[in-house]
Amino acid sequence: MKQIIHITIALIITCVAAAAVMGLAFTVTDKAKKQNEHKNVQNAMLGLLGYTKANPAPSDLTFHSVYRYVIEDGEAIYLGYMVPVQKGAEEGYELVVINLEGKFVEKLEVSITPEAAIEELERETALHAVLKPPKKFTYADATIIAKLGDKRLAYLLPGEFPGFKTFISVMLALDPNFGVLGLEIMEHEEDPGLGAEIEQQYFKHQYKGKSFKKVKGLKVVKEPLPDEYKRYLETKKWKEGMFSEEEIESIRSKYQDKDIYAITGATISSKAVTDGIRNITKKFAYRVEILDRVVAGQAVPVTF
Amino acid sequence: MAVTKKTNTQLFVDGILTENPIFRLALSMCPAVGISTTVMNGILLGIAVLFVQVFSSCTISLIKDHIHPRIRIPTYTLTIAMWVTVIDLVLAAYMPVAYKAMGIFVKLIVAFAIITMRLEMFASKNNLGPSFWDGIGMGLGFMFAMMTLGFVRELLGMGTLLGYDILGFKPLLYFVLPCAGFILVGLMMGMFNWIEVVYNRRKRVKEL
Repeated sequence: MKQIIHITIALIITCVAAAAVMGLAFTVTDKAKKQNEHKNVQNAMLGLLGYTKANPAPSDLTFHSVYRYVIEDGEAIYLGYMVPVQKGAEEGYELVVINLEGKFVEKLEVSITPEAAIEELERETALHAVLKPPKKFTYADATIIAKLGDKRLAYLLPGEFPGFKTFISVMLALDPNFGVLGLEIMEHEEDPGLGAEIEQQYFKHQYKGKSFKKVKGLKVVKEPLPDEYKRYLETKKWKEGMFSEEEIESIRSKYQDKDIYAITGATISSKAVTDGIRNITKKFAYRVEILDRVVAGQAVPVTF
Repeated sequence: MAVTKKTNTQLFVDGILTENPIFRLALSMCPAVGISTTVMNGILLGIAVLFVQVFSSCTISLIKDHIHPRIRIPTYTLTIAMWVTVIDLVLAAYMPVAYKAMGIFVKLIVAFAIITMRLEMFASKNNLGPSFWDGIGMGLGFMFAMMTLGFVRELLGMGTLLGYDILGFKPLLYFVLPCAGFILVGLMMGMFNWIEVVYNRRKRVKEL
């Protein structure tokens, strides 16, 4: 009996000591870790819009985030969009609730600043203040709208979908007509040499420039990637004078409306990315039209 | 168990050559087979394992007299989990580029047999100094083994080394798959055994 007590106490002490060390490491490193992640996402977004260190973003480039939530009120289900609005000189947020048929339901003030709204916990606390139980809400996704001055430049959609192994996390950039501006693979766990080739330019850049009509029916084709197209896609390996202006234009228009060439030995990963992008684009185009209509109809002073 | 006292440098060299964890002790074959696809993966994982091994060995050798014999394994596992978490958090916060490259692998280190075995066989019976050197030897031996495997698999499977295109084409993509890793580990174990046989034979001849 004494042995068992001895063992239990020893185990408890060890667990508590280990937890204390881990907790300490977490508190010390958490802020730096979040900053790194945020910087990573920012760089990916700027890169998709074409701005790099050599070509910095202009000062009138602004980002506005819209967060989508699914609200359950008893039997009824609604979509709640946390939209950034102009409140006098500052930016705040409002929750626009729309039912599943696309009709406006109600509009609620949410007290949160745009900087705080990046953190999921802060959004939840702010929403709990306006959506009292029995209403329940779950986070769905976010959209970031990039504006150059007064015009919409692009929609940036972070998305996640199942890949060959686990999940593939992407950032998709669409132009105001829902054509693809660019694609960035943020996280994945695919096989190196096979599925991990989705990170390579010769696969990612195939999506650039596809029109919305093409993306709605985008498929994967199991054919070898033509050599000239591959050289055109791998922009990092371009040398001086490799392509003339007419060559670039002719290659671009020749392959604009073709389907995606699959990666050799990684058809499922290629299909996963293509299907994911097709779904994200179709759903987003449908939703954003409803949101724009409702916001205009209700004269909500949105900043996008 | 051999009770002969080894010097610290001998422990260090043993860990890399005669008691190499993957090729001689046949421990931690999972990462050897699954993760040694490129040299960079091997180096990064080797460094992470080195840190975890050294810290865990030192921690256990410091508290070895207070561990109740019946809960040895949970104590080892908790120590290893603690250090793996600390290293994972530190990497994510202060070395984001390295973390992106090997983020998934670091969390798997908890399950590696080599660290638990080394704690059981060595750190719980020896003082801080020898444990430290043994930990470093084992960690470096693991890294050396992973780098060798990664070298062969990356060169023959993808035609690159450390990301740089050496061959310009992919000779045998088969080498990237775990099946080839298995076969390769077996072949390298055979080669190490053969080297030992030849070395011992030469030593015997010299002593005659």
